[in-house]
Amino acid sequence: MRGIRHALQHSLATRVILSTVLLSLGVVWLTGSALYSRLADGILSTSLSSSLAESRYTFFNAEYQMLVSRGMSVAERKRVLAEFVVNTSTQGINEERREVIFMKTPSAKSNVNSYEMSSNIIRSTSIPEDLRVKVQKDSKIQYGYAVATYNNGAAVDSLFVGQKISIPTGGRYEMYIVFSLKSQSATMDLIKNSLLLTGIALMLLIGLITGLVVRQVVRPVRDAARVANQFTQGDYSQRMKVESVDEMASLANSYNEMAQSIEQQITRLEHLSRVQQRFVSDVTHELRTPLTTLRMASEVIHNQRESFDPLVARSSELLVAQLDRFERLLEDLLEVSRFDAEVAILEPVDFDIITLIKRCAKDFDIASDVASPEIKVESERSAVAIKADIRRVERIMRNLLSNALDHSEGKPVVVTVVATESEVGIGVRDYGSGLDESALIRVFDRFWRADPSRARVRGGTGLGLSIALEDARLHNGELDAWGRPGLGAHFVLTLPLRAGDSINARPIKVTPRDFPQETFSL
Amino acid sequence: MTLIMVVDDDQDLAEMLGIVLTSSGFDVDLVSRGDEVLEVFRNNPPDLVLLDVMLPGIDGIEVCRLIRNESMVPIVMLSAKGETQDIVRGLEAGADDYMQKPFRDKAELVARIRTRLRRTNSDVTGLLTIGDLTIDVTAHEVRRGTSVIQLTRLEFDLLVALAKDPGRVFSRDTLLSEVWGYRQTTDTRLVNVHVQRLRSKIEHDAEHPEIVMTVRGVGYKAGGTA
Repeated sequence: MRGIRHALQHSLATRVILSTVLLSLGVVWLTGSALYSRLADGILSTSLSSSLAESRYTFFNAEYQMLVSRGMSVAERKRVLAEFVVNTSTQGINEERREVIFMKTPSAKSNVNSYEMSSNIIRSTSIPEDLRVKVQKDSKIQYGYAVATYNNGAAVDSLFVGQKISIPTGGRYEMYIVFSLKSQSATMDLIKNSLLLTGIALMLLIGLITGLVVRQVVRPVRDAARVANQFTQGDYSQRMKVESVDEMASLANSYNEMAQSIEQQITRLEHLSRVQQRFVSDVTHELRTPLTTLRMASEVIHNQRESFDPLVARSSELLVAQLDRFERLLEDLLEVSRFDAEVAILEPVDFDIITLIKRCAKDFDIASDVASPEIKVESERSAVAIKADIRRVERIMRNLLSNALDHSEGKPVVVTVVATESEVGIGVRDYGSGLDESALIRVFDRFWRADPSRARVRGGTGLGLSIALEDARLHNGELDAWGRPGLGAHFVLTLPLRAGDSINARPIKVTPRDFPQETFSL
Repeated sequence: MTLIMVVDDDQDLAEMLGIVLTSSGFDVDLVSRGDEVLEVFRNNPPDLVLLDVMLPGIDGIEVCRLIRNESMVPIVMLSAKGETQDIVRGLEAGADDYMQKPFRDKAELVARIRTRLRRTNSDVTGLLTIGDLTIDVTAHEVRRGTSVIQLTRLEFDLLVALAKDPGRVFSRDTLLSEVWGYRQTTDTRLVNVHVQRLRSKIEHDAEHPEIVMTVRGVGYKAGGTA
């Protein structure tokens, strides 16, 4: 049932075929019935006229026999009557039997002698009452259709023809001849069956033809839907076929024009985006070459600073430091523009993330010239193998560690690593200045700084955390932040063990374990 | 004196590179156009080529291919774009190493150049066999039967590094430090591209290597002596 409803709702063809078939069923039914009743009437009226003619002769014959029997005894007359009944009801092989019934008219005054008789074993009660009334009232031949019932229970459609007859010493009688309509009803059955069969065949044909026609209409619609679908999925070259000049063709033409226009728009936007990317790439290239010259020149000068006067020496130091910063900014900007242009590519390799974290921590220890807080790495496992873009993961770790050290206020930074079956969580916890609610919302924004007045110890570019978030998401990972003013911050990186898989859980909760109360987090 | 050919269209950078390299004790030949490189190269063969990717005339990658056709000289590409495909194309064209502009510092540049000029694996001498190859470390020659296979110095070093310890699995990081002299880098493309190039020269079928085998998820090893 549900299947049919589904087909009706979702298939135009099914709906059209079904309604066509139902409507034509009505039409076929009406014409069939009309035809059948016309044919039946015709057959019956043919048999009626021949039956009446035969009856007329039989009645006349009966009256003559009775007239002749005037002088006979009652027994003799009964024998004559019986003989007449037998002769009349017996026919040739090819003819249907007919029955003869003599019945006493009830209103006639009773007589000693009863001549009621009937041929075969037909029940005299099968004569319809209204026919008897008509026969009794009128002296003409009367007839009616009814079912003749036999003593053995058989019932046959029959024509009853009756007339008054007077029998000497018997009074007024009614004589009935019963013509079986067996052959007529067989013919009518044949006609009925033929009509039914024709009707069914017609219905099937109509269904089939409708199906074929609907297919012709629906096929282009389905094609159109398929083309539109492929277009939606990004195949902008898909067009509808125009094979004619009908309504479908005009639909196809309109659709194709629309598709053409959309494709042009997309091409234009793609071109713009390519131009943009090309521009960024060119700018970077153009900036990098002079920057290389600058760096080498500044280094040559810097190496000679012993021989300079202190102001020039300090200037050369500032020059080198600022060139470093300039370079980092350039790299970060380029990376951001790659993310914006969606051309950042993931290059996953297999590596051990704990080794990587320890190496990053060690590098910070060596690299910083100011006394750096300790970085503790805590993990239950000594190695966690993951498949990820090692360059990006390393950059995330450096950004998180650098951020934590910048805000640690000299307290140690703790890195925890927890791995599950499908993902690894890396928490970087500091106990420094922390972050408040408004800061948490903006912490991953580009060029946003927690405290603009704070000295920039490590000279971050202001893009570090935002790049780290993009890097994490490129792996299908996530980067979460937690913070409380004065209580420090907690950044949690969650990565799938295999880059590109999805993460189902956070092995490390963003609210740190040493901070039991659930507070607001991002 | 060691002669270094610097090919860069940026006059100032080329001059600066000249100053730095000269002060580090190298002789320097400056070329600014890609289509002039081969002529200068033939007239005065350098010990190492520093080659910029973007050049007027012929681009750096094509220049690299042309030099590689006639010489096994070490080539270090200088790339300002730093996009993966440029680096890989450069390495595939035959460069031994690449440096991304801007360089970290002068020391890094000089260190790279010295590594490429140094003869690595000086601890190994004599003959090594791996598969059906014979490696004469002293003569710097690889033979299959009687035919000599031409390898760049870097490819030779890579093969020797693997062959001196057959069956041992070398991680890409280990190879980077042993062959390229990097103390810390995470760029394993260098190793991948060079292994492919080495295979195309020494393997019967580079698709089904028998000498330099990949150990999935770890690195490479030299196949056993057949």
